[in-house]
Amino acid sequence: MKEESTRQITVIQTAAILVSTIIGVGVLPLPLFAVRAADSAAPLITLLGMVVAFIGLALVTILGKRFSDKTIILYSEDIIGKWPARLGSVAIIAFFAILTSLTAREFGEVVVTSVLKQTPVEVTVIVMLLLAAISTRNTITTFAYIHNFYFPLLIVPVILIVALSLKNAEVINLQPIWGSELQGILKGTLTIAALFQGSFILSMVIPSMRNPQKAMKASVWGIIIAGGQYVVIVAAAVSVFGAEEIKNLLWPTLELAKATSLPANILERLDAAFLAVWVTAVFTTLLSSYFLTIYAISHLFRLSDHKMFSFFLLPLVFVMAMLPTNIVQMYDIIENVGRIGLFITIGYPGLLLMISIIRKKRGNRNEGKSMDETG
Amino acid sequence: MKANQWMRPVKLLCVMLIAIPLLTGCWDRLEIEERAVVLGVSIDVVREGAEEEESEITHTQGSVPAPRTGLVKVGVQIALPGRIPLGPGEGGGSQGDSSKTVWVIDVVGHSIDDAFMNLQQQISSRLFFGHLRVIVVSEEVARKGLENVNDYFRRNSEVRRMAWMMISKGDALSLMKAAPKLERIPTLYLMSTLDEGIRMGKFPKDYIGIYWSNSSKKGQEGFLPFVERKQEQNVEVMGLAYFKGDRMVGTTKPLEIAGYLGIKGVNPAGYRVFINLEGTRETVMTYVTQRRSIIDIQIKDGRPYFKIGVNLEVNLEEKMNEALFVDNTEIIKAIERQQEQAGEKFYLNIIEKTQEKGSDIFGFGEQLRARRPGYWSSKIKTKENWQRLYKDAAFEVKVTVNVRRIGMKAR
Amino acid sequence: MPFSKGFKKSGSKKTIKAPSQKLAAHEDVKINGSLEQSINFVQDLLGTNVDMVIRRFQVFGKFPAAMLYFCNMVNQTSIHSDLLKPLMYTPPQIDRDSIELDQLKNIIINDALYYTGSMLESNLTALVESILRGCTVVVVEGIGDAFIIETRSIEKRSIDQPATEQVIRGPREGFIEPIGTNIALIRYRLQSADLHIESTEIGRRTKSKVAVCYVEGITNPKLVEEVNKRLSKIDIDGVTDSGYLEQFIEDNHLSPFPQVQYTERPDKIVANLLEGRVAILVDGSPLALVVPTVFSQFYQTVEDYTERFLLMSAIRLARLLALMFSLVFPAIYVSIISFNPELIPTEFAVAVAGGRAGVPFPAVVEVLIIETSMEVLREATIRLPQQVGGALSIVGVLVVGQAAVAAGFASPITVVAIALTTIGSFATPAYNAALALRLLRFPLIIMAGIFGLYGVMIGLILIANHLLSLKSFGVPYLSPLIPGDFQGYKDLIIRGPLSWMTQRPSFLRQIDRVKLGDAGTKDNKGHEEPAPRPATNNKMEES
Repeated sequence: MKEESTRQITVIQTAAILVSTIIGVGVLPLPLFAVRAADSAAPLITLLGMVVAFIGLALVTILGKRFSDKTIILYSEDIIGKWPARLGSVAIIAFFAILTSLTAREFGEVVVTSVLKQTPVEVTVIVMLLLAAISTRNTITTFAYIHNFYFPLLIVPVILIVALSLKNAEVINLQPIWGSELQGILKGTLTIAALFQGSFILSMVIPSMRNPQKAMKASVWGIIIAGGQYVVIVAAAVSVFGAEEIKNLLWPTLELAKATSLPANILERLDAAFLAVWVTAVFTTLLSSYFLTIYAISHLFRLSDHKMFSFFLLPLVFVMAMLPTNIVQMYDIIENVGRIGLFITIGYPGLLLMISIIRKKRGNRNEGKSMDETG
Repeated sequence: MKANQWMRPVKLLCVMLIAIPLLTGCWDRLEIEERAVVLGVSIDVVREGAEEEESEITHTQGSVPAPRTGLVKVGVQIALPGRIPLGPGEGGGSQGDSSKTVWVIDVVGHSIDDAFMNLQQQISSRLFFGHLRVIVVSEEVARKGLENVNDYFRRNSEVRRMAWMMISKGDALSLMKAAPKLERIPTLYLMSTLDEGIRMGKFPKDYIGIYWSNSSKKGQEGFLPFVERKQEQNVEVMGLAYFKGDRMVGTTKPLEIAGYLGIKGVNPAGYRVFINLEGTRETVMTYVTQRRSIIDIQIKDGRPYFKIGVNLEVNLEEKMNEALFVDNTEIIKAIERQQEQAGEKFYLNIIEKTQEKGSDIFGFGEQLRARRPGYWSSKIKTKENWQRLYKDAAFEVKVTVNVRRIGMKAR
Repeated sequence: MPFSKGFKKSGSKKTIKAPSQKLAAHEDVKINGSLEQSINFVQDLLGTNVDMVIRRFQVFGKFPAAMLYFCNMVNQTSIHSDLLKPLMYTPPQIDRDSIELDQLKNIIINDALYYTGSMLESNLTALVESILRGCTVVVVEGIGDAFIIETRSIEKRSIDQPATEQVIRGPREGFIEPIGTNIALIRYRLQSADLHIESTEIGRRTKSKVAVCYVEGITNPKLVEEVNKRLSKIDIDGVTDSGYLEQFIEDNHLSPFPQVQYTERPDKIVANLLEGRVAILVDGSPLALVVPTVFSQFYQTVEDYTERFLLMSAIRLARLLALMFSLVFPAIYVSIISFNPELIPTEFAVAVAGGRAGVPFPAVVEVLIIETSMEVLREATIRLPQQVGGALSIVGVLVVGQAAVAAGFASPITVVAIALTTIGSFATPAYNAALALRLLRFPLIIMAGIFGLYGVMIGLILIANHLLSLKSFGVPYLSPLIPGDFQGYKDLIIRGPLSWMTQRPSFLRQIDRVKLGDAGTKDNKGHEEPAPRPATNNKMEES
C-alpha cells in the first residue's frame, strides 16, 4: 500500500464529524427538554444552548490551533504539568466512557419502548456498543470517512419530517417567541448545551487535520449545521404539538415522525422508519465518544495503537449502561451527567487556554513532526 | 507479519461467536397474519349489573373498586386475514357483506387496558394496534371524562396520532358492527367519511393527535366529531362534540361545523347555505369556496375583546325561483349583504354557545397567550382561569362575503 | 496473501528457479557443434511428444542440419516456403562452392533467412525452452550456435463482440486470448509514445506473459511501482487467467467486494489508462484487469459516455436504484411483514395478512427458501446450454413460482418481492459486484429476521463501514464520494456533460489532471491525447 501521510482530514470532513457527533439520540427528547425550560421560547433556548456549546467548542479549537500537533491529552501536560494534566485526562476519559454508555442505554430504551418491545434492552445496547467497538478499530482517517458518509443520512430524514409536518404546524404555538415563564432558562440552556458535548472530539481530530489552522471554520460550520437542525426540530415540534402537549411526550421528535405520513400513503407513518434511519445518527455519536475514549487512553499511555482498547472497554461501558434502573432515573442521570460534563468540556479547556496564554506556551510545530506516531 | 494477517479475522470471529448467543432470538418477530389487527375500538359504559361479566384476569372479583367513571365496555373490530383478498376484484364473494371481513368482539373491564387484557385472554393472537384507525366513544363515556382513554392511547406506542377518535350518539359498539357497502373494511369507511370531509371542506382536521394537542393547550379545548349510525348502516356527522378538559360538555349542529371552520378560516371550504333574500321569499343557495379569518385582540376594561373578521368567497349554486334574475350587480350585492348579516349572527351564536360551557374550542385563549403574553401571565396563566374567563370575553364578528361566480347559467 | 506465502515456504528453495527438473540438470550445457548430440539432447527431453518434428536437411545442399519445432504451434506452410526453402537453396548472389563453414552463420543470417524474428543461441536449455514457446530451431553441424526463429503461430479466434459487456452504442471489439492481439487493440486506440507496456513472466510452469500498461505523464509513478511490486511477489506454478492475479494483488482478501475491475473491452481499458489507472493483461486471458478500482466503477458502463448525458444520467440512476434494491429489498420486506406492519397502508396490510394466512413458515424462512432456490435456478441457467437454459428459466420462474403460491408454500407477495430483487441484481453491469451484493443480501435478511428494520440498519452500517475502510491500491474504495472530490461528483450519481469534466478525478493522484483543454491549451495536451476519436475515447471517465 502507498504510504499515507497522517494528516488527511479535510475541513469538510471535520465539520461532518462535528455534526454527526452532535446529532444523535439527544434529538429525540430535545423538544421536551427545551419546552420544560421555556415553553414557547423553546427554539430560542435551543439557540442559547447552542451558543454556550459553541463557546466550549471555540475554546477547544483555539487550543487545538495553538498545539496543532497534539491532542488535548498531550498538550495539557505541556500546559499544566504532568500529573494535574493526567488527572484531567482521566476525567475526560471517564466522562466520555460514561457518555458512551448513557447514549447506548438511552437509544436502547427508545428502541425497546417503541419498536422491539419484547427484546431485552441488554441486547439492543450491546448491539449498538459492538457496532461502535468494531468500527473504532479503524484509523482516524477512516473514522473521518465514516462520519462524512453518514452525514447526509442525518440531515435528510430530519428535513423530510420537518417539511412534511409543516402542514400540521401552527405558528401560534411558537408565540410568544420570548416565552412567558422563564424560571428554568439557565438549567435548560445547560441541559441543551450538554447535548452538544460530543463536539469535544475535535480535540482529537485537529492533529490529524490536513490544515489545522482552518479548524475554526470547521467548528463554526459544524455547530451551525447541528445547532440549526436542533432549532429546526424544536421549532417544528412546538409548532405542531404546542408546548403543553410536548410536556406529555417522552420523545417528541419520534412522535413527530409518527404524526407524519409520506404523501400518497407510501409509508403511513414514519416512526419506525425514522428510528431505523436514526440508528446511523446514534451510531456516529456513539462511535465518536467511544473513539474519543480509547484514543485518549492510548495517548495517555503513549501507545501508537488505539485498537487494542476497543474491546477491553466494551464490558465496562456495557455494565455502566445497565446501571440506571428505570427510564426516569436514566433521564435524571443523563441531565445531571451532562451538566457536570460541561465543566470538563468547557471549563477544563477554558482553564487550559487561560494558563497557556499566561505562561505563553505554544505548540512547537517542528517538534511535533518528529513525534508523528502519537499525533 | 503472517500472524498479523490471521489475527484480525480470528479476533473478529471470536467477537462474533461471543455475540451470536446474545443475538439468536427473534423476540419481536410476529408475523403479520399472527397478529390480531385491531382496526377500530369502541368504548361504551356498562349497563347496571354487568360487573359479573368481567373475568378475573387482572384482578380478582371485588378486590379493586369500580373506578369513578364506572366500568367500560370495549368493543374491537379485528380484521380477518384471508377474508380480504389480495388485489382488486379477486374472489367476488367478499363484496357482498363487509361485516364478514371483520370480527367484532366486546368485553367489559375496569379500565381500557383492563378490558384489552380481558379480551386478550379470549383470543389467541396478540392484539396489534398499529393499524387502529378509529376509536369510537359513546357520548355517555365522553361526558364522564376521557382521562383514562387518552392516557392509554397516548402511552401505547403502536397507536398512531393520525387515527380518528369520535363520539357516537348512542351505542358506540353499533358503529363497530355497522357494515357499510362502500368499503371492504367497515372502519375504513368510517375513517374515509371524515377524511373526505376534510378534503371537501366539511370538517376540520381533527385527528386524535390534534385533539390531544388542543386539549392540553392552556388556552384551548379539544373537540371531536360527533357521529350517529343511520339506517343504511352508514354514518352521519352530527356536529362537533366539544370538551372542557377531558369531559365532553356539549355538541353542535352539523351546520355549526361550518361556523367553526369559518372562524378558524380553514380551507378548502365546502359548505352550502340557504340565503333568504331580504323582504322576499326568494331563496338562493351559495357555496363557499374559500375562507379567511383575522382575529384581532384588544383588552377592554380588563377583559379580552376579540374582533373576528371573516372573509368568504362564494359561488352561487342554486335558486328556487325563475322570477329572480341574478344578472345584475345589485342582486349580487344583496345576496352578499344578506349572507354577511346571517353569518355574523350565526358565528356569534356558536361562540356564545361554547362560552356558556366554558369550552374554547377555537383557541381564542391561545391567541391571547401568544399575542398578549403580558396580560396572559398576569391575569390568566392556567387553563382553569381561562375556562372561567372565556365566559366573560367579548366578541365582535365582521363577515365580508364576495360572490364571485354564478355557474354556467347566465341569470 | 497468506496463500502465496504458504506456497512459497513449502516449495521454494529447490524448484523456484527452474520448474522443470530435467532442464535444471543441464542448465549450462552448450552446443558443442555436433548435430547428433544436440538432436539427442532435445529428443531426450521432448522426443516422446507426438507433435515434435525433427526434420533433417542440408543447408545449401552441403552442410547437414536439422530443424526442430512443434508442428501444431507453427504455421507449417510458411515454414516450408519461408524457412526450409531459402535454407536449402543457395541464395543467388552467393557462390555455393565458396561457402566455408565459418562463414555459414553470417550467410544464413544475412542472406538466407527471411524471418525478422531470429536469433542465435548456444545454450541447449534455452533452445528447448524456445521450442516450447513455439519457435523453430535450426541446428547446423559444426556451428556452435543454433538459430532460433520466431515462427509461433497459434490458432486463435477472431475478434468478437465482448460477450459480457455488450453495448448498443460504442465499439464492438473485445479482447481475445493472445496477449499480442490485445496489446495491438490497445495501441491502435492510444497511439501515444507515452503508453508504456511492460512485460514480465508469472507462473513457474506456465510462464505466462503479463503486461502492465500505463500512460506515462498521467499515471502516478508510485502506483505503477506498487503494481509491479505486488506482481513480483506472486509466486505460483501457473496463471491461466487474469483472475488468479486479481486474487494476489487485491488489498483485502476477505472482503466480498471486488477491489480490481476486469473488462474485455479495449476501449474501456484505454479510457481507464487515460484516467490514470494501470491495466494488467495476461496472455491467455481475454479479461484485462484495471487498478485501482473504486465502487462507482461497478455501476458505470461504456455506454454512459457514448450516449448523451441526460439520458444516461437517468439510466444510471435507475441502475443505482436496482443496485440498492437488490441488496435491501428482501430484508425490508421481511422486517415490515414480521416487525412493523403498521408502516404499510391498512388495506394493503390486511390483504397481505390474507395472502400469508396459509403459509406455514415465518417470513424470514420463506424469503430465505425462495431466495436460495432463486440462486440455484440462476446458477442452473448459467450452466445449462443456451438452448435449454431459456426453457428452464421459464419453467423455474413461472411454473414453480405459481405452483408454490398455489400450494400455499409461499405468499404471492414474497414471490413478487424476490423476483423484483433478482431482476434488480441483474441490472448491475459488473457481475462480480452484483454477486457480492447478492451474497450480502442473506445476512441482511437474517438480521431483519432478528431485529426488524433496526437489524437491517445495523447490517447496512456494518457493510458501509467495511466499504469505507476498504482501499484499492491506496485509493479509498468509495472515492470520489468519500473522501469528497468535486471533479468526481460530476460523474458519480449522474453522468455530467463531457464539457463539465475538465479535469480528471483527483483521487487517483495523477501527475497531470487537465483533461479538457480550451482552444488555447490545445498544443499542451496534443501529445497526450492523440487518440483517433477524441470525442468518444478521451473524455470517457471510468469504465
